Amino acid sequence: MSSVDYTSGLAGPGKGVTASQGITRRRRKLRRAGEPFTVISYVGVSIFGLFCLIPLWMIIAGSLTDESALARTGYSFWPQPFSLTAYQMLFSGQSLFGGYAASLFITVVGSALSVYCTASLAWVIARRLPLVSGPLTIFSYIPMLFHGGLVPLYLLVTQVLSLSNSWFAVILPIMIAPFLVFVAVSFFRQLPEEVIDAARIDGAGELRIFFQIVLPLSKPILAVLALFYAVTYWNEWFMPLLFLSDPDRYPLQLILQNLIANVTNAAALPGATASQAAAPVYQLRFAMTVLTIGPILLAYPFAQRFFVKGITLGATKG
Amino acid sequence: MQQPISAARKRRRTSPWDSVALLLLAAPGIVWFVVFAYGPMVGLVVAFKNFNIRDGIFGSPWNGLANFRYFLSTGDAFNIVANTLILNALFLSASLFVGLLLALMLNEIRGQFYRRFLQSTIFFPYFVSPIVISLMLQAILSGVGGRGGMVNDLLNVFDLPQLSWYTTPGAWPWILTIVKVWQLGGYTSVIFLAAITSISEEVYEAAAIDGASRARMAISITTPLLLPTMGILVVLGVGRIFFGDFATIYAIVQDNGILFPTTDVIDTYVFRSLRTIGNFGTTAAIGLFQSVVGFVFVTAAVLVQRRFQRESAIL
Repeated sequence: MSSVDYTSGLAGPGKGVTASQGITRRRRKLRRAGEPFTVISYVGVSIFGLFCLIPLWMIIAGSLTDESALARTGYSFWPQPFSLTAYQMLFSGQSLFGGYAASLFITVVGSALSVYCTASLAWVIARRLPLVSGPLTIFSYIPMLFHGGLVPLYLLVTQVLSLSNSWFAVILPIMIAPFLVFVAVSFFRQLPEEVIDAARIDGAGELRIFFQIVLPLSKPILAVLALFYAVTYWNEWFMPLLFLSDPDRYPLQLILQNLIANVTNAAALPGATASQAAAPVYQLRFAMTVLTIGPILLAYPFAQRFFVKGITLGATKG
Repeated sequence: MQQPISAARKRRRTSPWDSVALLLLAAPGIVWFVVFAYGPMVGLVVAFKNFNIRDGIFGSPWNGLANFRYFLSTGDAFNIVANTLILNALFLSASLFVGLLLALMLNEIRGQFYRRFLQSTIFFPYFVSPIVISLMLQAILSGVGGRGGMVNDLLNVFDLPQLSWYTTPGAWPWILTIVKVWQLGGYTSVIFLAAITSISEEVYEAAAIDGASRARMAISITTPLLLPTMGILVVLGVGRIFFGDFATIYAIVQDNGILFPTTDVIDTYVFRSLRTIGNFGTTAAIGLFQSVVGFVFVTAAVLVQRRFQRESAIL
């Protein structure tokens, strides 16, 4: 049932993809084998791909390398000597689970609120209602042009709303991305008008139309929104840095940031070497990084196509 | 063309309850915009006040332009504005150039599987958080106690002198540019690739009959046809030039004062003065300055874009 809805929502873009695949197939016939530019392309993009992956590999290898080696070089390409000390330490401590709890709460609750508010506002804009949609468009667009800035936001959250130390202080300031509102609007405007009109004739009210017809038809765009918001929330560290002071409430990114700042301070002291420290600081940093980007790494192969779709929809909307 | 009809149809069917329902749907979004987007704009009055927590935003005494005068008197103003402009110009041009190049080259790759794999790989850095980037960079550049690190070990191999990167401000505009290219190269190429798929196949067929090589096609057909896309991205980038990517720069540089001469931008300056000086009035004044200049840039950018690209303008 749900897969049927999904495809019907995809109908427009889906056709586009098949057409372009046909074009590529024809284009390939035109291509003569072994042209210099083709060879350069293979080599060039592959090198850039390596350039993108190497830092990632370095982190993973480093997290499995014994501190004795890391303290000499600061990095590692092969886990030699192999060690799981950092992971053992992280999993036996409390801060990792606290960090995961905080990051998960911010990401899950935040994304749910974000997607709902973005989609419902976008739907009202997309309806092209006289006297409503136009002003609402401008209303949502102005914040893309003019920002109040950091200080008023800080005062708003800490003084007016008294949200200091609450996870909602991280969620609320970044809850709606105006850009994504417009991405959703452009998707909603592609929905088949007839389906909605039919529902209206059958006597469905506006709420029923939105929740029972529009949302199920819009699963692709909801997935795009959810993923963009989820990554933003998961990677967010500036709002926690500003508003959270209780270390027990720190999300992963902020724990990582503290780990980096502490080692940097220690390493910057003249004559100090990290190897003198009792804890394997370098290995810990790498292991914590792996655990922080782990969920993104795991979800990426499945989620990647939605991001491509989101960008394409955003870039070519008109 | 069919809009007037459908609008009329909707108007006929709109009952009072339907208006209430639509208002309910839009309400959370509207409330959010009022509080978190427009609220801080009102809060900018702090820039003209001698703010103290006790009297609050509206109770604190006015002090005219004193906050702005103080900001200008510190002598940092010129430096951070210049850095913001230079760094963002570097970021924008480098990531657009590399993005275009990657899109042209990805377009040449035949194996669907390999092509998709590469696209996913170069797109991935976009999802790596600033803090993680900062940590990777430390491992690459500094190693232990400002010595060692991957780059220095490489320099050793070629018998070149090592550098203590985190105390060498001159290198950082370039290092940050490379970081930006790493982060955004793949992302930008996805946008360009989307534009490439919409180019008509006949143009290439004609070129092939005329004996054009693939390189010739990329330079003389694909690139010129991508110029409109390029234009939009340039205009959008220039519009955002005053809202530098705070997170990445701050995560990397942190409070390393040695690097400020080349890396301190308006955003990082504002954040630091908020945290260390704690002077809300002055900090808000800098923020207001940034917002106003940024607004001029964005508006100019949007107007230019609408002038030249009516069909794809944002509104």
